[in-house]
Amino acid sequence: MDTELPDVVVVDDNAVMLKYFEHATKNLALELHMFKSANAVLPFLMENKPQLLFLDIIMPEKDGLTLLQELRRIPLHLDTLVIMITSKDYVQDRTVAKKLGAVEFLTKPMPMVAITDIILKYINKDNPY
Amino acid sequence: MAKSYLHFWGVRGSHASPFDSHLQVGGNTSCVEINVNGHILICDAGTGIITLGNKLAAQQNIKEVTVILTHYHWDHICGLPFFEPAFIPGWKINFYGPGESIQEMKQNLDSQMQAPYFPINTENWMANINYIPPSTKKIRVGDMVVKHHCVHHPGITYGYTVDTGKQKIIYVSDNECQFLDKSIKMKMTEFSEEEQTFLKEINRGEYEYELKSIKDADILIHDSQYTPEDYEIKRGWGHSCYVDVVNSSIDAGVKQLYLFHHDPSNDDSAIEEIHEKSINIIQSRNSSLKCFIAREGLEVELN
Repeated sequence: MDTELPDVVVVDDNAVMLKYFEHATKNLALELHMFKSANAVLPFLMENKPQLLFLDIIMPEKDGLTLLQELRRIPLHLDTLVIMITSKDYVQDRTVAKKLGAVEFLTKPMPMVAITDIILKYINKDNPY
Repeated sequence: MAKSYLHFWGVRGSHASPFDSHLQVGGNTSCVEINVNGHILICDAGTGIITLGNKLAAQQNIKEVTVILTHYHWDHICGLPFFEPAFIPGWKINFYGPGESIQEMKQNLDSQMQAPYFPINTENWMANINYIPPSTKKIRVGDMVVKHHCVHHPGITYGYTVDTGKQKIIYVSDNECQFLDKSIKMKMTEFSEEEQTFLKEINRGEYEYELKSIKDADILIHDSQYTPEDYEIKRGWGHSCYVDVVNSSIDAGVKQLYLFHHDPSNDDSAIEEIHEKSINIIQSRNSSLKCFIAREGLEVELN
């Protein structure tokens, strides 16, 4: 039996938002990797394909949609499951995210259960949570 | 040494509004020239860039400009097909804007100059067109250093900080400021106490990001499109209510605020009223912030 925990990556420049994710997922059997910028996560993503990748949109220097566009050019991430997490609830952003293959678009503020529900929807259905 | 100035060529948001009732403020869409010692930076290419282009084409000293685009919505690029220097051999035009690649930037500009919408395309530009790679973090234009940050507006949209070496000018043409704050307040009761504690901290972090992006600006040019009444209806359209802009400017220690990207449905008197109310907020908060209406044709001398 494969006992390796699924990798979930969150990229958000707001440190408290990362803590929110950490708190929301504390009872889930997963390995949470948190990064504060597109540039910080890139070295990790060059070598790893997480089961789920949460991306904020508005971040300093490089935004989450541009990062996703870059990732889709990398064979490893052609089909990585990506969920946008943003306060930007605009049709244009939803359209671009969908075109780039993001599977969900989660708007802030979201309850913790929205985070765990999405994680359970996409990974590890037998999670003991 | 040439004089240094900032000139508003287009101040209107959304679409041009060349109506009699609007001309004291101006009807052309976004375009601001920052000229430091003869080096020209053009912020956005709305219809305002047409008049600027005519002026540039008529002189002989300067043959290079850099155009920085906040995003590719029509009101920010629709002057480019009529920007005369682009059609003159010997000119060099540098473009910078959001995008993942030069190809994407070029495509975004090409798209509006194609049949059947326009008779010629960007291939017909005769100037030397140089697309600055979007991955460039700092652009240098003469003594100016330009950096971007992401703002709250549909699609990827930039605000720009221009450091002239003596002054910090920040250009944020389109931005819905304090958006998350309002979203959290509207939904706060739906969250548990524990979540509320987190959300207050998340909100504080977001506001700090907003303030940091305009902090200590000598000159801030900012989207102030809506009144509170407009904003009730148009929340989520990507533009700011002037009340939030003035308060953020005070909190960020901005010295001069230029109310910009005026709503085309607001005539001159409506914008004067927005300005008066902005002054009232500043006075009520005992702030030293100076607030002006960005008017087409207004020239601000730089140090």
